[in-house]
Amino acid sequence: MKRVLEGSHAVAEAVRLAKVQVISAYPITPQTHIVEILSDYCSTGKLKAKFLRVESEHSALAALIGAQSSGVRTFTATSSQGLALMHELLHWSSGARLPIVMAEVNRALGPGWNIWMDQTDSLAQRDTGWIQFYCEDSQEVLDTTLQAYRLAEEVNLPVMVVLDAFFLSHTYEPVDIPDEKDVDRFLPPFAPKFQLDTANPCSFGQLVTPAFYMEMRHDIDRAMDLALVRFGEIEEEYARIFKRRYGAVEAIQCSDADIILLTSGTVTSTCRLVLKALRDRGEKVGILKVKLFRPTPAEQIRGALKSAKKVAVVDRNCSFGAGGIFAQEVRAALCNLPGHPLVYGYIAGIGGRDVTPELLEEIYWKTKNSEVPEKESVWMGLQEVAHGTQRS
Amino acid sequence: MAGSKVQKIDIPLFMPRSYMSTEVNKTGSWRFLRPRYDEKTAPCSAACPAGEDIARIEMLTTQGLFKEAWETILKENPFPAVCGRVCFHPCEGVCNRGEFDTAVAIHVMERFLAETALRYDLKPLLEQSPGKKEKVAIVGAGPSGLSAACFLNRLGYACDVFEAASEPGGILRWGIPEYRLPLPALRSEIARIESAGVRIITNKRLPADFAVGAKGNYDAVFIGCGHGRTTMLRIPGEDSSGVEDGLEFLNRIRRGAKPPVDGLSAVIGGGNTAVDVARSILRLGGKAVILYRRRRQDMPAFQEEVEMALEEGVELKELLAPARIVKDRKGLLITMRPMKVAGEDESGRGRVEPAGGKTQEFRVRRVFKATGAEAVEEWLNPPGRQRNVLLLENCVLVNRAKGPAVVFGGDLTNETKSVAHAVASGKAAAIALDTFFREGFKAVRSRLKSCAVGNGKALSMEIYMGGERRLRNPHVVRFGEINTDYFHFAPRITQPRLMKEERLNTFKEIDLKISANLAIREAERCFNCGVCNRCDNCYLFCPDLSVIREQDLVGRHVNYDYCKGCGLCVVECPRNAMTLEEEKR
Repeated sequence: MKRVLEGSHAVAEAVRLAKVQVISAYPITPQTHIVEILSDYCSTGKLKAKFLRVESEHSALAALIGAQSSGVRTFTATSSQGLALMHELLHWSSGARLPIVMAEVNRALGPGWNIWMDQTDSLAQRDTGWIQFYCEDSQEVLDTTLQAYRLAEEVNLPVMVVLDAFFLSHTYEPVDIPDEKDVDRFLPPFAPKFQLDTANPCSFGQLVTPAFYMEMRHDIDRAMDLALVRFGEIEEEYARIFKRRYGAVEAIQCSDADIILLTSGTVTSTCRLVLKALRDRGEKVGILKVKLFRPTPAEQIRGALKSAKKVAVVDRNCSFGAGGIFAQEVRAALCNLPGHPLVYGYIAGIGGRDVTPELLEEIYWKTKNSEVPEKESVWMGLQEVAHGTQRS
Repeated sequence: MAGSKVQKIDIPLFMPRSYMSTEVNKTGSWRFLRPRYDEKTAPCSAACPAGEDIARIEMLTTQGLFKEAWETILKENPFPAVCGRVCFHPCEGVCNRGEFDTAVAIHVMERFLAETALRYDLKPLLEQSPGKKEKVAIVGAGPSGLSAACFLNRLGYACDVFEAASEPGGILRWGIPEYRLPLPALRSEIARIESAGVRIITNKRLPADFAVGAKGNYDAVFIGCGHGRTTMLRIPGEDSSGVEDGLEFLNRIRRGAKPPVDGLSAVIGGGNTAVDVARSILRLGGKAVILYRRRRQDMPAFQEEVEMALEEGVELKELLAPARIVKDRKGLLITMRPMKVAGEDESGRGRVEPAGGKTQEFRVRRVFKATGAEAVEEWLNPPGRQRNVLLLENCVLVNRAKGPAVVFGGDLTNETKSVAHAVASGKAAAIALDTFFREGFKAVRSRLKSCAVGNGKALSMEIYMGGERRLRNPHVVRFGEINTDYFHFAPRITQPRLMKEERLNTFKEIDLKISANLAIREAERCFNCGVCNRCDNCYLFCPDLSVIREQDLVGRHVNYDYCKGCGLCVVECPRNAMTLEEEKR
């Protein structure tokens, strides 16, 4: 059934269809619409889940760790400072191998206070052992959330479904809402591989000595590798039922491209228009959309980029002192590939600033016209500002 | 870790798990600080001359346990209905709540509990020591004598109280106006003391040599005859007709007379008697002006009483000392000499000296002397320091070689002349005599010290009789030791009163009764400094489940096998009923 939905509500629909049993969240813009509608579903019985109100994001995730350990399907959503506050428990949930699913609406971190789009919040959590998906539109958000549960529960790792603040979370688009029976076929009830059981009490996650800890961590890394394989299989199955697939990466006209723009999130949609315009003028350009950030689909990235001369990475984030994070990841994936393309890093659209077709075209021409990258990352579209800390 | 095992499934999932109870890990061994339940002393109870366990009384009141709360008062003070009305409540002056918003209205609650007991005709159940062979005579059925009798009776002694007047009560019966202390309130308290076994013989004025002659009949005599005679002004014209004794005036009213007070009367003095006289004059249809040699803030009378007197129309002239009184055809002409403040005495009260300058004259119909009182007979005054005399707080014990021991108490010995101090006197005498009889003269002083409330001057009968209160730490809780996060601001109860217009033509009690609801709400303002009210913060906050609630749900204890000594329980205790101390291993 097609409905015009906000990106946030597309998440909520997926959570409803996934028959999540425990939701715990703390409100934060721009995520709040998601849990608002879910709490409404819980109160009206549209979703038979326990909605736990807590005093912080830290507690929200802690509550889900408890709930998930007892063998139920769980969900939370957050943004920005909220995610940062969860940091400790992000590590805990992956370490405890709990298949928690979270919607993360990318928002800039303060100060200065800024509620708009910026990927730094989620990318800063890249080492926590969470699988991360970056979505382009509301349909993808819904589909990815459903797939996230399958993937999480198969490999016993938590999944973050990431969507852009406002550009996606608050934008209305037509979304095909799958039939409940079809979803049930794709996503059967959660069958935990281990759980707390009052009939046979035990505790999980206690002290592990150096003799075993390393193996536990190795297992998480192996599970990440496995996730890459399983995600492909899950997408196959999803496509068979729902006729939609996205891929861990999507290579658009990359095979003959000299320059490939590498994007993630909603910038990809803008870039598709720029691609058409440039191709019409005879430019050999392609797009590599990266949807799966963790585990890194390095093989697929290399495959898509190997024949290009240059890659222009558009980063809506910054690891201060090291440049754009996607650019770093791409460089890491390519460095051992003989004759690999040059990587041009661009930082754009930080803190909710628009990434316009003109800006993307400028990035293209800048890349085409420079023989080597001038530095690790170039900040695009900066304006002149008066610096200084004194009051004038 | 015991119980770890590898999951045999197709995804790598190596998880530590344990089926062993974490109870094997006795985390108490990590502790270097030790919390313990340690009830302490509330500042109010240490400041109360009668040593009432106020923190506990308020706690019981909040729980609706009115009888228990009332009995808790009675353990230390046989006169809650009286003290709830006329005590100057030093407890409220030191109330820790005063540093938060305003002090708890402790006296209002005391009166409420007494009223409740009277209304339901409650009979207290108090600990009673087995009977002793010694017999004690009490001279004077005022508040100190009746208190001494009441406490001695509770300690097992037979007591006979001899009273010169036709009815017991002393100053409470004959000196304090009815609008402050109505008769039924007083009579019910005296009746309770009598029904416990104290014999009161009225209309019996004893001779000066009574104590000597009492040998054989009594083993000790308590003398608590009070100060029944107003001190002299020592000025010319003092003997003129129309110059009256304030105490005598109040006494006549309490006997049922309506002495004439037409025109303006001058009342000389600044104590409660002066204020009582002035207000009584108003109620009898006269006008009154109080002439006081110091300032209003130096008056020993209760501030509230002064305030109400002025509100009712009494005039107050400060810094005027009487010089002479002249009687002429038109009445009395009283000449007042102006005074000035010259420094302060130790208690902060202004010291005055003649200011020189012009004298003032007041033309009045009558002059009432209310400048203080003294013993009626010289033999009623206690002896000074001697080998066989113990000068104790609020009483003097004389161990006579021949004849029964004699204790002087009440106003005869008390620096502060209040009902609460009279009660303290009776209690000190009872404990002193019991110790004297059982352990000898030399043991008395240290025994009294051992039952002091918070190492202060007040004594506790409950501590003396071995009650639970003896376990209280004498440390007096300070405001800084209260965790005020658990209290919110709340206004102090406003005592409902008769309107000014209603007061002026009657001796009806001014302060009206309050409902149980209001009393509970006021009691809830009490921090219960140092006393556990089982709020269970310790239980809720303990991260190691080491606070154990006992089966009776009253007791709490710490399971030291697992308590790590984090101290959360102590910090989160709102009322400082716990202590954290270094672990001694």
